Amino acid sequence: MEPIKPVKYRISLVVVFAVLGLMVAVAFNTTTLASADQSGRTGDLAAVVSDMEAQREGLTTKVTELRAELETLERTAAEEAGQRESFNADVEGTREAAGLTDVTGPGVIVTLSDAKIVPPGEDANRYIIHDFDITAIVNALVAGGAEAVDVNGQRIVATTAIRCAGTTVLVNQTRLGAPYVVTAIGDANRLTTALESDLVASELFGAYRVQYGLEVRLDKRSGLTVPAFAGVLLPRYATPVVGE
Amino acid sequence: MFVLVLALAVGVLAGLLLRIGIPVPLLTYLGVAVLAALDSCLGGVRAALERTFSDRVFVFGFITNTLMAAFIVFVGERIGVRELYLAAVVAFGVRLFNNLGIVRRLMFERREWE
Repeated sequence: MEPIKPVKYRISLVVVFAVLGLMVAVAFNTTTLASADQSGRTGDLAAVVSDMEAQREGLTTKVTELRAELETLERTAAEEAGQRESFNADVEGTREAAGLTDVTGPGVIVTLSDAKIVPPGEDANRYIIHDFDITAIVNALVAGGAEAVDVNGQRIVATTAIRCAGTTVLVNQTRLGAPYVVTAIGDANRLTTALESDLVASELFGAYRVQYGLEVRLDKRSGLTVPAFAGVLLPRYATPVVGE
Repeated sequence: MFVLVLALAVGVLAGLLLRIGIPVPLLTYLGVAVLAALDSCLGGVRAALERTFSDRVFVFGFITNTLMAAFIVFVGERIGVRELYLAAVVAFGVRLFNNLGIVRRLMFERREWE
């Protein structure tokens, strides 16, 4: 009987198999690299943002706690010095003026929201509320004698910036989304007049609302509450001028 | 047979170690080309078992199959029928299993005879 005849493997067959293996490996590399790339980018950034926000949340609570502690310490200190009354009144007044306390009183609420429908082919930018719209409203309210203003719970203080970041608006470095509710405490009639006489604000209430379907509403209310500023107000570069 | 498996493994290892990648949009081309190459390789094994193996036919078959597969994908993308690559996938897939069946049968038959 004939011995087992091995099938002759030509060198071409061997080479082509190696090439096939190489192609499979390249395809594999491409898919794994691509997926690693994508999850790397968006996943990481989203995680970083939510991480930082959680961190800030914790820090904000800590600031509130520390502030309360500071207040007690100040009280004790003032008591010890025997000048409790004047000192406390002084501190309280400053605190209130700086926006570090919750305040309540009559005033107005301005609600701003994006248009519900953007007609196809139209510039979507015209149909949404921008940072400068909010700035205009806040500006007009302050001009109208508002004593305390907040946007979605973010108190407007001396260091507040209102700016846009992508599709959201940043107030006090906090991301806010529509609807934007601006609460202002002051004389409701004066505030309303101020809004009407402000160029941009009146446009928002008038032409823009009608033409683009933006939701802009003004309510006069009493018993409004504007929360305290939760951030930190410590100046690092500014020092008081001595001998004024 | 062992030599071929080894060659395949060497190719895969080389590719993985070199970490070569291609731009993602070209992945369909490579995928279909891999399928075509796989079909050619099985066809080669089959021919070897049937003792009709020819270097020239095999190498040409491998190259033309692979290029044709990529070409079909290209044409599909150009004329707006992206799904045209499915034609290549189905054609090569059917042939692949066909060849596999024949290779399997030939190997078993050889065992029984010898």
